[in-house]
Amino acid sequence: MVVRLGAGGFGAGRLRLSTLPLGTVAWGLVGLLVVVPLANIAIELASADGMQAIRDVFTGRIARNMLWLPLQNTLAIGVVVAVACVALGGLLAWLVTMTDMPLRRTIGFLAAIPFMIPTFSAALSWTVIFGDDRLGPASTGFLHALGVPVPAWLAWGGVPIAAVLIGHLYSICYLMIAAALVLVGRELTDAAEIAGASRWQTLSGILMPVVTPTLVAAGALCFAEAVSSFSAPAILGLPVRFHTLATRAYGAIETGNPERGYVLIATMIIVAAALLAVATLAGRRRRSFATVGGKGGRRIRMTLGPARWPLAIAALAVVLFTTVLPALALLLSSLSAQRGTVFGALTLHYWIGASDPAIAQGQAGILQNPQLVRSFVVTLGIGLATGLVALAAGAVIGAAIHRTQRRWAAAGLRQAAFLPLLVPGIAIGAAFIGFYGAPIGPLPSLYGTPMLIVIAGVAATLPFAVQSVTSALSQISPELEESARVGGAGPLRTWLAVTLPLAFGKLLAGFVLVFVKMVRDLDLVILLYTPQIPLLTVLAFRYASDGFMQFAHAVSVVILVLSVGAHLLANALGRSSQPWLKAPAG
Amino acid sequence: MHKKPMQSRVARTGLAALAGSLLLAAPATADEMAEMVAAAQAEGQVTVYSFTSRIFRVETAFEAAYPGIDLVPFDISSTEQIARIQAELEAGIASADVAYLADAPVVVEALVDPGYLTGYVPPAFAARIPDEFEQPLMAHRLSTKVLMYNEEANPDGPPVMNLWELTTPDWTGRVVMVDPSTRGDYLDLLTELTLQSDAMADAYEQAFGMAISLDDGINNAGEQFIADLLANDVVFVSSTDDVNVAVGAVGQANPPVGFTSYSDRRDNEEEGWALQVANAVMPSPGIVYPAYLGILSNAPNPNAAQLLITFMMGDDSETGGSALAPFYVAGDYLTRTDIPPHPDAIPFDAFRAWRIAPEATREARQDVADLVLSLQ
Repeated sequence: MVVRLGAGGFGAGRLRLSTLPLGTVAWGLVGLLVVVPLANIAIELASADGMQAIRDVFTGRIARNMLWLPLQNTLAIGVVVAVACVALGGLLAWLVTMTDMPLRRTIGFLAAIPFMIPTFSAALSWTVIFGDDRLGPASTGFLHALGVPVPAWLAWGGVPIAAVLIGHLYSICYLMIAAALVLVGRELTDAAEIAGASRWQTLSGILMPVVTPTLVAAGALCFAEAVSSFSAPAILGLPVRFHTLATRAYGAIETGNPERGYVLIATMIIVAAALLAVATLAGRRRRSFATVGGKGGRRIRMTLGPARWPLAIAALAVVLFTTVLPALALLLSSLSAQRGTVFGALTLHYWIGASDPAIAQGQAGILQNPQLVRSFVVTLGIGLATGLVALAAGAVIGAAIHRTQRRWAAAGLRQAAFLPLLVPGIAIGAAFIGFYGAPIGPLPSLYGTPMLIVIAGVAATLPFAVQSVTSALSQISPELEESARVGGAGPLRTWLAVTLPLAFGKLLAGFVLVFVKMVRDLDLVILLYTPQIPLLTVLAFRYASDGFMQFAHAVSVVILVLSVGAHLLANALGRSSQPWLKAPAG
Repeated sequence: MHKKPMQSRVARTGLAALAGSLLLAAPATADEMAEMVAAAQAEGQVTVYSFTSRIFRVETAFEAAYPGIDLVPFDISSTEQIARIQAELEAGIASADVAYLADAPVVVEALVDPGYLTGYVPPAFAARIPDEFEQPLMAHRLSTKVLMYNEEANPDGPPVMNLWELTTPDWTGRVVMVDPSTRGDYLDLLTELTLQSDAMADAYEQAFGMAISLDDGINNAGEQFIADLLANDVVFVSSTDDVNVAVGAVGQANPPVGFTSYSDRRDNEEEGWALQVANAVMPSPGIVYPAYLGILSNAPNPNAAQLLITFMMGDDSETGGSALAPFYVAGDYLTRTDIPPHPDAIPFDAFRAWRIAPEATREARQDVADLVLSLQ
């Protein structure tokens, strides 16, 4: 029975590897990937143009609409999304892992999918359902077509943006919390029951304290993702002039005022980091628990009684509404002959049709378009490369955090590695062009190479990679490694034979997460791609901005298939990203 | 004052066409042309950044004419092209050969002055393009951002006769345009309104029968119009196509009006739109601005780039053949003087949109952008 309170169980039992080289390498990685490109932005702000931009943004006549209102909107969306995602994801995780709810395998499988749907596709599918006629017949959705009055606040602005982001991000909370709960389930609750604790005592005394750090981490992650999201507010906010810091920063960068954009991004990072620091402090006293012990245990599931089916139906409704519905909306609109009329005549032209000068400037269906094949291959390659490199970097940094004896050093490294979470993808793109776009000493410019996209991708996904690695490592009880060492195995052999296999499921899940984020992400690559490196999301975005919505949605479906395919493959590899789905019902 | 060179256009058409075909037939030009084609074919590829999706139709026509040369088209907004070309040239990356873009006020300063983008006037067409459209980059055509309405719902003509009507309760939430904070051409449109403040003030008096009074912090009638339009819940969208559908889609009882490209009327039949320009609106329906063709200074395929620009100017048939077909539409005003005006279009002389003066626009733009930001 291993329960270590305190800051991470850096106790006597830990392996004593030399921490210096590891720490140096980790700091080097974080420096190159995060600190230097962002510091470059700070240096730009210190220039005369930068100081002028700071004055304009904070005190000029544009301050209210450029900074203060968008800041307010951004924080409101961040808090609402974080709280809702933790509640929804946590509830689903509890139902799937800890109770005897029917259909929990199906529900658990579906709950992982929303994160794979490109945000801009999800936002577009919201308008397919809830759109009103503010933008004329093209924006009227299904409900409007049926004659159901859709209030304006449900069609555009903060509410739909938050709803789309919740429907997208709860998935991450579910995965994180379920992973934490399932590991707790085994021994701790057994012990509590043996000791005669009631169900409520088990929940509040054992479960909550153990998963609280995960809840805080999941909430922080959703908060950060929500405040830096660009696509959803761009699509659902613009028609009612609802702006966030990310949309304002994008507008500034796109119209030749990058310094103003950097001011907004820097403000966002500082404000969000301060809020997250407060949240982390609140959950800090119970940091890390070694929950993969050396002893097995029986999985117990709470019986829900008469609430079984109502809860199952409610959970199923949530996961269907956030997976099947958007996917169906995308598929249907890729098949509709005329854009904006999802429920009219259907055609396969946009998938397999030959070039017809009367349709979309003579563009052939996407499966006839050599550009799609190239984009598919390039996207796949960049996704895989980013996944591997990010996980390797995450392993080095995670191990350094895990093993560093000095708490402040570990905290500093962790905070730096998590910084990219708060930076909108478009700003990471801008920072990387700014720093790696020009030759550095003898090194050539990386601009226009897939390398730059991979490196920027690694930086953007580093928080996910580090989180996967640290949570995988911190939950492996030292007693397992210790017994290997006692048995005579060296550190590397111990790592390969004990640590890696135990952590493999989580690492694979982390890989899939990074891969999926990369494959479906638009914001990060929109400034970095060049014609020589076509990507699926850029292709979809180009089609959408030309008004060729059917093509755009067809490409979105391809992205979705690629992401879900990766998810299924990871599951099939035996080390499921959701091992609890395979556990026998108990 | 800008319109002069276009005025004698129709009269000159016949002569110029004759001169043009003579020029093409001239041996030196034919030799040069043959050389260019051979060199372009050796290069085998040409990459274009284009601000219009019509480049996909150019691709088809070009590859039919020159089977050995692959045209790789990228449809990228002018604003993004500028940022991209700057970044690529500064990094020494040779990605594209030809840029087809508008946003003249920024292009000259950001791309032409530093030498990133250079002009090319095909010798065969030099005599058929007014001088003012050959510098600093050759203008392929003039494009527009003007007030359009739905002619199906308004068979008797435009539902507004004065821009100031758009600030009245009748049009609350019913004027659509692309967000001028993200798109240069729409910012140019608003900037022109402020540069034409006298005309805007006159139009105000015409509309409401009294002299305009300016709000605090507003400097002129153009700015007042922008303030009133924003206060009247103007709808911002992200692309001209969103404007087109909102304004143009058939079957609407009470459609909005919006600022978009006159030439998008060409898609009415295919898309189920009924877009028409409100040319009579006082004081002007909007702006006309040049669409430039230029060659990137580090173009990997410079000969193919020249060939493509030559090709895009059309052939010597009456309306310029398949290369010009995508642009020979009502609402685009080609700079070639020997192409007759499109039969369905308002003749350029009668078209009441303002020609932007890139230099003056560039100076005033940032102020207007900040005004828009401060008002939202």
